[in-house]
Amino acid sequence: MVTAAERAEQIALVSRLKTFYPEVAEWPTPDEITHDHWLAYMKTPHDVGGELDYPHPYENKEEEEWELMTYVLCEVLAWRGIWVSEERRRIGNVDVGRSIYLGVPYYSRWLWSVGRILIEKKYIDWAELTDRLAEVKKRYPGALNGRRPEAQPKFAGDGSAVKRNKHHIRAVGVGDPQVFAGTAGKAKFKLGDRVRVRDLPAMFYTRTPEYVRGAEGVIAELAYESPAPEDETWDREDAKSEWFYIVRFRQSDLWDNYTGPNNDTLQTELPERWLEAINV
Amino acid sequence: MSNSDHDHDHDHDHPHKPMVDEITDFEVLEIALRELCIEKGLFTADEHRVFTEYAEQIGPTPAARLVAKAWLDPEFKKLAQTDAIAASKAVGVDWLDPTGFGAPSDFVAFKILEDTPTLHHVIVCALCSCYPRPILGNSPEWYRTPNYRRRIVRWPRQVLSEFGLQLSEGVEVRVEDSNQKHRFMVMPMRPSGTEGWTEDQLAEIITRDCLIGVALPKPGVTNNVTPLVRPAIRGVTA
Ligand SMILES: [Fe+2]
Repeated sequence: MVTAAERAEQIALVSRLKTFYPEVAEWPTPDEITHDHWLAYMKTPHDVGGELDYPHPYENKEEEEWELMTYVLCEVLAWRGIWVSEERRRIGNVDVGRSIYLGVPYYSRWLWSVGRILIEKKYIDWAELTDRLAEVKKRYPGALNGRRPEAQPKFAGDGSAVKRNKHHIRAVGVGDPQVFAGTAGKAKFKLGDRVRVRDLPAMFYTRTPEYVRGAEGVIAELAYESPAPEDETWDREDAKSEWFYIVRFRQSDLWDNYTGPNNDTLQTELPERWLEAINV
Repeated sequence: MSNSDHDHDHDHDHPHKPMVDEITDFEVLEIALRELCIEKGLFTADEHRVFTEYAEQIGPTPAARLVAKAWLDPEFKKLAQTDAIAASKAVGVDWLDPTGFGAPSDFVAFKILEDTPTLHHVIVCALCSCYPRPILGNSPEWYRTPNYRRRIVRWPRQVLSEFGLQLSEGVEVRVEDSNQKHRFMVMPMRPSGTEGWTEDQLAEIITRDCLIGVALPKPGVTNNVTPLVRPAIRGVTA
């Protein structure tokens, strides 16, 4: 059904999708790439705070039916212990890579993460997904003419032997992060302490944005105890909890040439592993 | 808008929508995954329906009501500041719903940021789109865009001015980047000209944008800042 000309045309389209720095050759040899470029490639693509951009119009958007259904799908999988949302946040926002992250609609990355987790955790295999995609598409040949696509599961599976995390049971009636209260020991910092965000070579996943790394701030609140996202994201239920803090920064400390008044501030939440005391 | 010049028989209920009438790649993928999940017993169709019903009823109304109540009742305001989860119950929002441990992506850690004459808050999630969904509904599209997330943390006053909000030098602008498990909402100051107003009247001017922090409540203004709405191809039917 696909012709040689159509294949060539699609490959030509992919050839134009650029995902590398123009000043460094594609597929560089080790001597061609600098440390800074390496860091830029390794940076988790969800961490966009402070990137240069120009004003765009602010738009609202009607929600597509599939977008709502995607949100529900992700949340029900978490409700039933197939994953925690930190796994989703990594897979759909970071593991996708920069071109998918910036190139496709928001909720299509949520969907991508569902397919990925189901195969990775062996709930389904590649052929099951691929065959089903082809089958669903085939149910709706041509124009929909007002019909709405519908899920038609062939049967309801027996969920009793499905592997699930402990979290979705333990947290019931308590909440997350409340379920981790009392598990982190004594907090290293207290309200008002001056801290510096460590400048760590974080690979694969983190939720400590680059724009605060190395910056000094003040503990504005002891937030809660929880495993750090850097562990929780890998489905490590054995991960040790730690204290999280809301840290307040002066904007003029975060940004070179901050143009607003000196007392403007920014707060963000960080786990203890990312903070070090400033000795005064 | 004229749509007289295409030659097939689409329904013409939505003349402003693009004429895309084939099933989309996204719909195919969502349906395939949902069917497989149900067939594998990962969840039941019933559980899916329960969560859908939850997701369809969330919106900004309880958040506006919470702030209106706090404006009128100093005791309640204290509760909102010290235990926002408890205060949410007074406007019908239980953060443990609908799973017993919360909406999984929203957690159960909620704080209300109170503006003062010298402090203005604005929220963002620079890493994804974290937002107090259970009490404020789904985030607007612009809130999720890289553009807003890139710029608000670094040029907050410029971004706020693009929403029509100019703040004087004497007001500290505090950006709250909610990038972990806490969810935040802004409690703006009650504007003058609302003396003697009822809770209902006040709630009407506490728009979603005021609760994000990109606008301030004003008597007579009940709409969000941007009127631009991108239509859906096949929108939510509810
Ligand atoms: Fe987020």
